[in-house]
Amino acid sequence: MPHEPAPEHRDLVIQMARLGDLVQTLPAIESLHEAYPERTLDILCAAPLTVILAGAGHIGRVIPWDGTQWQAWANGWQANPTATLQAMQSYIASLGEMTYERVYPLNQHARSRLMTQLFSSHSFHGHDQDDIETAMRPWRQHLRQVAQERGANRIHLADVWCGMCGVRPRGQAPLLAPPVVELPEDLAEIGERPGLWIALATGAGEADRCVAPAVWRQWIREFLAQTQDGQVVLIGSGTERESAQAIVEALPTLLHGRIWDATGRTTLSQLMRLLHRCQWVIGADTGPLHLGTLVGTRALGWYFSRARLHETGPYGEGHWVYQHATPAQPQQWPIMESLALMCGDQGRHTTDWTVWRSRMDRWGAYFDDGSGNNGVEHSRADIWRACAPDLCESMAA
Amino acid sequence: MNILHDNLARLASRHQDLATGVKTATGGVLTIEPARTGVPSARRSGRWIHSAYDPLREAQTWADTHAAACQSGEMVVVAGVGLLYHVEALRNKLPPDVSLAVVIPNLDEFHDALAARSFGAWSESVLWLPGAPAEIAATLTKLGRPLRCLSYAPATLADADFYRALEDALRRGIARQRGGQLTIALVGPIYGGSLPITGYVKRALETLGHKVRWIDHSVHAASYDAMGTLKDQRNRQMMQGRMAEVLSQWTLASLAESPPDLVLSMAQAPMTLPVLEHLRKKKFLTAMWFVENYRHLTYWRQMAPGYEFWFVFQQGACLEAFRQAGARQVNYLPMAADPELHGPMSLSEADRRTFGSDVSFVGAGYANRRKLFPALLHQPWSFKLWGNEWEGADDLRAVLQLEGARIDTATCMKVFNATAINLNLHSTTGTGLDPQADFVNPRTFELAACGAFQLVDHRSELRQFFSEQEMVSFKDFGDVPGLVHHWLHDSDARQAVADAARARVLSEHTYVHRMRDLLGHIGLSQPDRVGSVLRGERQQEALLARCADDRPLEALLKDCPSGQRIELKDVAARIRSKGPTSTLKREELMVLMLDEYRSETRDLL
Repeated sequence: MPHEPAPEHRDLVIQMARLGDLVQTLPAIESLHEAYPERTLDILCAAPLTVILAGAGHIGRVIPWDGTQWQAWANGWQANPTATLQAMQSYIASLGEMTYERVYPLNQHARSRLMTQLFSSHSFHGHDQDDIETAMRPWRQHLRQVAQERGANRIHLADVWCGMCGVRPRGQAPLLAPPVVELPEDLAEIGERPGLWIALATGAGEADRCVAPAVWRQWIREFLAQTQDGQVVLIGSGTERESAQAIVEALPTLLHGRIWDATGRTTLSQLMRLLHRCQWVIGADTGPLHLGTLVGTRALGWYFSRARLHETGPYGEGHWVYQHATPAQPQQWPIMESLALMCGDQGRHTTDWTVWRSRMDRWGAYFDDGSGNNGVEHSRADIWRACAPDLCESMAA
Repeated sequence: MNILHDNLARLASRHQDLATGVKTATGGVLTIEPARTGVPSARRSGRWIHSAYDPLREAQTWADTHAAACQSGEMVVVAGVGLLYHVEALRNKLPPDVSLAVVIPNLDEFHDALAARSFGAWSESVLWLPGAPAEIAATLTKLGRPLRCLSYAPATLADADFYRALEDALRRGIARQRGGQLTIALVGPIYGGSLPITGYVKRALETLGHKVRWIDHSVHAASYDAMGTLKDQRNRQMMQGRMAEVLSQWTLASLAESPPDLVLSMAQAPMTLPVLEHLRKKKFLTAMWFVENYRHLTYWRQMAPGYEFWFVFQQGACLEAFRQAGARQVNYLPMAADPELHGPMSLSEADRRTFGSDVSFVGAGYANRRKLFPALLHQPWSFKLWGNEWEGADDLRAVLQLEGARIDTATCMKVFNATAINLNLHSTTGTGLDPQADFVNPRTFELAACGAFQLVDHRSELRQFFSEQEMVSFKDFGDVPGLVHHWLHDSDARQAVADAARARVLSEHTYVHRMRDLLGHIGLSQPDRVGSVLRGERQQEALLARCADDRPLEALLKDCPSGQRIELKDVAARIRSKGPTSTLKREELMVLMLDEYRSETRDLL
């Protein structure tokens, strides 16, 4: 008698945040797959970002959530509620099977909660989902506390998301092969010839986290002066084209042949390919840094204003972050120090900046300033024990 | 001849009467000349109506510009005929569920168009509207569809009066539609003459059934005055300017709490240009009723681009000046009275003695009044002067009442009612009558609403509101003593004039009339927003009627109170009221999701 095929068990991770956060969700996805290899895991994320996950293994489907369309419906509901409701229902139907036994909502906003309800299977709504909610609660509280107190937290956000999903970090960073896409003709040469190729993220999400063009200009001039074979690739969105032009135009014309302006000219897939062809990515914008680490590029971040390396530093082994000492806007920049580091020297602190190297252990990623502070591991372990006692017991076993 | 014949045959298939009318028309209004591209172009009274180079391309550009805003289900009404290239381009550009009508003010012009070029199938799906403006407006109103009015300006100039009359008739039609309830945030001033008017406007809008939230900045008047005591002018101006900025932000915060359909500011409302630009970005609809003489208060020049709609009580040069300064839409909206406050009173004998006189004037001591009023002294009749800012007018001290204290509205009404002849002299900074007498002040309407007799300095617009039988005016202040002498001794005639003026105010010049007109303007220009609310399309009954067979939606809507306007947020609130532990249906979750996106788009601060 033939066996009945086993029914498919599908779970869903909801991650509606921005580029960097989606990349940082991958450790949780990999850990979930390792913990439940028999289950299929789908991801719901913002539609423009789905390409990032195209090459990721262990994912059943990547479901695009079209926020722009929902905004249009919200504006148009009043004019024609019937048509709007029908359009929404068709949209949801177009997403395919949408009853999940387990839903892992990683964001804390109301929309994420509604999505959880929308995608939870009613027949299974109960035991499994309640367990997930219970596992998530202490981690949510931890995140709220970190946001409010901005204390000495040392648990990386990617690892918090592992904890929220009820799984341990795997202790190694995810790595994706870059998508096979063609680059614009004039950028196709990038990384194809020998040299030290550096991708430089010119902007940042918010104005107070941007580095002025003059600072980047100085960094580039010093870098190109110090390296015979150095090449700089400017990356960023269309809104950063102007600052990229400001950087390039004020540099000596002789250097222009070693600067490649790709700002606003690449899709996300192409950006991943570009980053893959560079040895380093440097910048203050965490999104491109995370994307770089995902395709195997080393990252060097300048973290200041509200950016905090312990929660959002580049995930994995061997990345570096210069963290500014105070929340105030920096007056001095670690230009020579970061250059020395990229050219093979050791990380050096400066007056206003401390330098941190990323490392991995059984609790996930952490950052080490070379001070040999053993208390760090204890504090991370304490948080894990407080937020996920069951997981810690199984680790001990 | 063949072209005309063919076009008439095509027209007759759907508009027989119009075709017959055009056949008998003589034409000759348009001068047809070939454009550089070879197609016919046209001039009217020497002025080109279409491009002399490429009329088709010009029409396409016009159609491309306007088609994007047209929405499904609307009736687009085009003003401007010419050779109809623009209509053809627009019809071809619009989807079939957007209807198109063309107003024909002149059959001769239409005849010329039909004779000049061959019309294709597109012309069969156009509703042609000949006739008088009122008839056309009635036809369009009867259709019951959202109207979007477009103008092909080069072809409308020669018939400007016709189109203005049509727009008035359409606006009145929209204003009469009292099916829906708007939510309106009314932003008042900190102090000044527009403060009481804000109250009248609020009452009028509420009378029309709309929900009004008055963002009342007069509560901050004491602080503003306190800053006014600073001796250093630069510091004083800086502090008062900063306070206006803070109040502007406060307005923003108030709006964020419950976003309205319309933000209506009154003159002197503390709104800064950056805040108005921010509101515009966030798709708030803003309007300002500038109830001030635009020549005296000139801050509107900086603010002109900020508001979507301006309403002013002066015409002609004023409208043009606002447009020049960047106002998007500026319309004439004269002053009015509020019969709830401005009305006849029965006064006690004591009040009559206190507040009454043969002649009185209520108002501030402007230069022209100081100069002219001494001529009213030492006359055989009594004269009382009420109001403030008369310091230094020593020759008038004997007639100044209450030692020149500011007069509140209640006292003002008593004076109006107790006085035989109320003098109404518009203020100017000069020494005589206002040399640019192009508006009628609120006092004119308020006195009339009281049934009080007045002598008013003549205004260019006065007869638009009141006939000679309803209002007596003077063009020379030297005539005033003679007029007083004449009217003082004929109380029956005074009463007849005053009664007629009051009747006219009640039938045409209350704030309710003005607000109906203001909303009509906005509704006409925003058919899919304010217009749809005014048409009642957001009332529960209308929404239910549009539900077709959508049972889940019907159930959601029926849960809301009947007879009310229903917004997305109302439906969402109903669903949320079921409590956090209830299991919601899929459509309920989707409505909540929509509401989350809605509130995100209105995230103001």
